Amino acid sequence: MFVYVVRRILATIPVMAVVALFVFSLLYIAPGDPAAVIAGDQATPEDVEKIRRSLGLDRPFVIRFGEWVWQIARFDLGTSIFTGLPVTQLIAQRLEPTLSLMVVTLIIAVSIAVPLGVLAAWKAGTIIDRTIMGFAVFGFSVPVFVVGYILAYVFALELDWLPVQGYTPISRGFWPWLENLILPSIALGMVYIALIARITRATMMEVLQQDYIRTARAKGLSQRTVLFLHALKNAAVPVITVIGIGVALLIGGAVVTESVFAIPGLGRLTVDAILRRDYPVIQGLVLLFSFIYVLVNLAVDLVYTLVDPRIRY
Amino acid sequence: MDRRTFIKAGAGAGLVAGTAGLAAPALSQGAAAKTLRFVPQANLANFDPIWGTQYVVRNAAALVWDTLYGVDETLTPQRQMVESEEVSSDGLTWTFKLRSGLKFHDGTPVLAKDCVASLIRWSARDPMGLMIKALQKELVAVDDRTFKWVLSAPYPKMLLALAKNNAPCSFIMPERIARTDPFQQITEYIGSGPMRFVRGDWVPGARAVFEKFADYVPRSEKASWLAGGKRMLVDRIEWVIMPDPATASAALQNGEVDWWENPIADLVPVLRRNRNIRVDIGDPLGNIGAFRLNHLHPPFNDVRARRAILAALDQEEFMRAIVGSDDSLWKPLPGFFTPGTPLYTEEGGDILKGPRNIELAKRLLAESGYKGEPVTMVVAQDQPVTKAQGDVAHQLLKRIGMNVDFVATDWGTTGQRRALKTPPAQGGWNIFFSWHAGADCTNPAGYTAIRANGDRAWFGWPDIPEVERQVTAWFDAKNLDEEKAAIRALNKAAVENVVFVPPGFFLTYTAWRSNVTGITKGPLPFFWDVAKA
Repeated sequence: MFVYVVRRILATIPVMAVVALFVFSLLYIAPGDPAAVIAGDQATPEDVEKIRRSLGLDRPFVIRFGEWVWQIARFDLGTSIFTGLPVTQLIAQRLEPTLSLMVVTLIIAVSIAVPLGVLAAWKAGTIIDRTIMGFAVFGFSVPVFVVGYILAYVFALELDWLPVQGYTPISRGFWPWLENLILPSIALGMVYIALIARITRATMMEVLQQDYIRTARAKGLSQRTVLFLHALKNAAVPVITVIGIGVALLIGGAVVTESVFAIPGLGRLTVDAILRRDYPVIQGLVLLFSFIYVLVNLAVDLVYTLVDPRIRY
Repeated sequence: MDRRTFIKAGAGAGLVAGTAGLAAPALSQGAAAKTLRFVPQANLANFDPIWGTQYVVRNAAALVWDTLYGVDETLTPQRQMVESEEVSSDGLTWTFKLRSGLKFHDGTPVLAKDCVASLIRWSARDPMGLMIKALQKELVAVDDRTFKWVLSAPYPKMLLALAKNNAPCSFIMPERIARTDPFQQITEYIGSGPMRFVRGDWVPGARAVFEKFADYVPRSEKASWLAGGKRMLVDRIEWVIMPDPATASAALQNGEVDWWENPIADLVPVLRRNRNIRVDIGDPLGNIGAFRLNHLHPPFNDVRARRAILAALDQEEFMRAIVGSDDSLWKPLPGFFTPGTPLYTEEGGDILKGPRNIELAKRLLAESGYKGEPVTMVVAQDQPVTKAQGDVAHQLLKRIGMNVDFVATDWGTTGQRRALKTPPAQGGWNIFFSWHAGADCTNPAGYTAIRANGDRAWFGWPDIPEVERQVTAWFDAKNLDEEKAAIRALNKAAVENVVFVPPGFFLTYTAWRSNVTGITKGPLPFFWDVAKA
């Protein structure tokens, strides 16, 4: 197992190298000019050109790429063109809000979606099943920002139960941290709940047709034991796969959710960096997201061994 | 007490023993009242007001750095850090003496050598500074509180240059910081203004924090824009960056922020219905739209094609697209200078008045030799003002028979593309849109868009000697009457030759909670004299 994990981590290096080359090339050919944004709207073309030179943006692709790769090899993601701050510092400032949002969303989504999926499979064809699946279609169809605005209007503006926006670090208390995350996590989790609920229902329905389930029922086991101990455990592998794949959805959704709820996370940093063409920040973030995605896939592979003893690496 | 606080208080009372470790650090009511939470117009992504000249940087910098002079609400330069000045009878030597007791935020005194270094850096970037630099023979510190600027020719607008509010302002920094190359970003944010920048709390894109500088010595006069006594009535100002207007609106209604600099017109009716919120015009000097033409390439290298657009242009259509149905937010603008300011004129602007003449536009276009070639119009979609102007202009140009190649893009790409002088078919452009703060358009000093000095002009590169002659005449003017005469002639030449197309003048709102007092109208948010109950 240890050798497998090490091998998988080492395998991320060529993946990251390809991502790095791809991202750098894409940004190089993409239109836009950070120097023009820095100089401001009233700046003359000469000023813009001087700023471009001072930032080294007039140098050839090969030199800029070589310098960047050399920096990364030394675990240095460079310096933001705009803020003058190290990219690692900017990412570190934004990591906690985004991780918090993703973790709370995952917890909310899984704890709602899996029971809903199991219930729908158990009551397949009934009004309960159709209601749950209707909710799933709604979750898929309504954009994150619409759900976000509705939640903010009802629970923050009208009822005044929760704040509209912002983020409080967990170091300043558990409840202040959580109250800022409840609405964004529900908004972000809607599509995720829909996805997991549907896949749980489908796999559970397949498993519930198996002979061993009929045997378990014939033995007189309770419905709860049959569903959650025998059926769900055997339906877990596809569900875990979807949860893992869904992390990419969460990263994408975080961009919108963080804007709607003014959470200072990596999603907003990404949007700001793209709009301003802050190349070092964009490159650093894409590398980070790629790395997270690779790690999540590794974690999913390892979790398989916990739920299915037949899987060994 | 709001409902959420009440619920929390109730829950806290019940759970006080068990959850003491989970409680949030509470701000006392007094501390909360001393913290002003402000939503600025944009993200404070960098904090060097000379290197980056965005308005949001200038606005934050005005808290942290002081200036030698500042304009008041009549646009008149007033002494700020300076105690007195003396100009020689030939107008060539300016001697400035600093007020005593001025200190930087690191505790060191403000000295004449700091001013000299700061002015050297500023004059390398600012249009007026560059003019002074071209005349400069010597800029030296005479003693700790006195410095001297010796010129080769008189520069009557010296005090305006040092006082003006358009970016870059001549902010004074410690010498060691001011020695930074003007095209490189500074790394220390030490000023001598009324608030100090809390660098440790700065999260670009999310938050910027300023704390009251205890050693600041305000002038004795009443504050007026950038002039007078800048007395801080709050201890801490938190800038909360909110990219989404709906979120900012909800946060203001919920009392999570105290002041929103520029609410969009669509949300103003909602804010007005809330009895805890006040809404008013933020900046009486407003903004002037800019429909910018490329003078280097056909069809707009021919003045008749440019005039065709003026003949057909309906400013009301443009302004309604920007501000909606609120008539108090816009004015027609048959010229280029800010309405309501001393130099405002409509001289030569008749072509922009009265019924629109599509037939005349078509005739002028035909006379210019235009035969339906594609006209590349670059429209930034991520800026509501440029998008609205682009959409209306597209219809207008089609109406007069132009073949428009509508390039929908973002502001970052527009910024790059508009700098290209190549023909439109080779990546260049014919038209782009922008807007200018009215404060920058009160005179030619900081109004780069009105300049028509060819290659050195703003994007579009108009080359109109008569406009430049009148700009020079304004700089040389000895009194207001001479200035007005120059501006009248300038406006006439600029309209006749169409330096750019002015789609109109528009205003924006600002909104704040009713427990906040002291907010004044002006070209930037002034925080002095603002209190929070």
